[in-house]
Amino acid sequence: MKIRQITRDKDDYMDMLLMADPQKDMVERYLYQSEMFVLVNGGDVCSVCVVQLMKNRKCELKNIATRVQDRGKGYAAYLIHYICEYYSDVCDTMYAGTGNGKKMIEFLERSGFVNSHMAVNYYVDHYQEPIYEDGIRITDKIYMKKQLDSVIDVKKVVDLALEAGRILLKNGAEIFRVDETITRICRRFHVEYVDTFILSHAIFVSAENGMEEAYTKVKQVPLSSTHLGIVAEVNALSREISAGNVGVEEAFRRLGKIDNMPSVRGYLQVLAAGIGSGFFGHMMGASVTESIVAFFIGCILYLWVLKAKKHNISKIIVNIIGGVIITVLAILALHLPFLGNIKMDGMIIGSIMPLVPGLAFVNAIRDIADSDFLSGTVRMIDALLVFVCISVGVGVTLSIYNGLIGGMVL
Amino acid sequence: MIHVVMNALCSFMGTVSFAVIFNVPKRYYVCCGLTGMAGWITYYAFVSGHASAASASFFGTLVVVLISRALTVLMKCPITIFLVSGIIPLVPGAGIYYTVYYMVTNQLAEASRRGMESVKVAFAIVLGIVFVVSIPRDVFHSLFHFRYPRGKYSIYTNERDESRKG
Repeated sequence: MKIRQITRDKDDYMDMLLMADPQKDMVERYLYQSEMFVLVNGGDVCSVCVVQLMKNRKCELKNIATRVQDRGKGYAAYLIHYICEYYSDVCDTMYAGTGNGKKMIEFLERSGFVNSHMAVNYYVDHYQEPIYEDGIRITDKIYMKKQLDSVIDVKKVVDLALEAGRILLKNGAEIFRVDETITRICRRFHVEYVDTFILSHAIFVSAENGMEEAYTKVKQVPLSSTHLGIVAEVNALSREISAGNVGVEEAFRRLGKIDNMPSVRGYLQVLAAGIGSGFFGHMMGASVTESIVAFFIGCILYLWVLKAKKHNISKIIVNIIGGVIITVLAILALHLPFLGNIKMDGMIIGSIMPLVPGLAFVNAIRDIADSDFLSGTVRMIDALLVFVCISVGVGVTLSIYNGLIGGMVL
Repeated sequence: MIHVVMNALCSFMGTVSFAVIFNVPKRYYVCCGLTGMAGWITYYAFVSGHASAASASFFGTLVVVLISRALTVLMKCPITIFLVSGIIPLVPGAGIYYTVYYMVTNQLAEASRRGMESVKVAFAIVLGIVFVVSIPRDVFHSLFHFRYPRGKYSIYTNERDESRKG
């Protein structure tokens, strides 16, 4: 399905145009000073429409028609959608004149047109033959209008872009993705001059559309938990926005909804952490018994992590205590008589995994690969800090234990 | 043989459970698991062939990132989803533990050997990611985007996606 503008030989489509406007001389009156678009599907012209530009940023939809066999497939609606987009740069309002038949008015209303004014007895005065629709004679011409969203409010667009960026950054997207999303959204709504400066925890956007003063906004984005589902959703939304399917208002609404998307339920996360610990432990050489212990340690560890997250405990403390919990539990398991002969390594290695900062690490590398060295460094330090904290937690506990038993077991 | 199957299963399940923790949407779980599995099996194959942990990690990462990029194009979603989950099995968690363990037990030579190895593995992962990420988007699009290959910023193309609207 493609839409093409026709600049020459507009007469070729006359038979289609006559379906909507049955008198040839009336069509010819506007055809040559108007712009014409056709919708082509599979090589055939399915729909055609004619738009005339008028003064004061207005335009009028003069004619729209679809082949008989292609009606009811939404082609005309799509064509209207397209021309509204197309003219939103140069026009504020689009008018459409139609007979006072029910069908056409309903169609236009569905496409976002509202009543404007009417010309009484227009069809009686200008057309030689009476026109009938569903057996009723059409007499008056109803003008309907649609506001094209070309009056771009720079502030609103930037707010939208910034909100999308904030949600992305908060939930663990790369700097490059945030930057691209903001720029694309601004471009889509015709804010041409956009500058962004994005750090791992703040976004600066400055925008201008040539007419108004520049608008600048800063948003702080505190570090928080990862939610890759939200990143995927915002990404999908930004694609739709950029394809022109979603307006500013709807985008705001949907962003709000996405932002409130719940994360996986707590007990499922705990279970997942346990399962991950168990399987990774086994993968790295732990025996089956050790893996089962690692499963329980992983679950208990993640209970702590979730609890700490709820009370906003510092990341450093969370990871140090996490390391301590893992090691203490592993030592306890070591002394449980019914578990038989087990080693500590496997249990600890497995249950460390939920603490490992995979996302920060990967994002840091990706940012550095994209030459965002500043954010890359910050995230890398974040990742390294977590590694160090885990080591401190594990190390301190091990050395205390070592001291207690006099270095016999270790 | 049984070892390989166990390793595959463990890495698959482990990766999927981390995908759950990262709140990856349900429809991507299997893909995440397969990515992690492929990466780990590659690593495992190289380690069994007496390659060093660092070079094995490098090739494992290459596989993970390549698969992630292909999946990104096929499933039209951010690469982070597959990359983060898939790389988890390769992150040197064990290395950290052994470093700390030997340090605490005063076997400093062994500790520094383990520590250096972890650092090398981390660098290998960095290199692996950087290499594949630097391949231009076009390449992956022309390879995996069968239906409508397009220009440079095809994800965000301004051209209307006509073929998808009826």
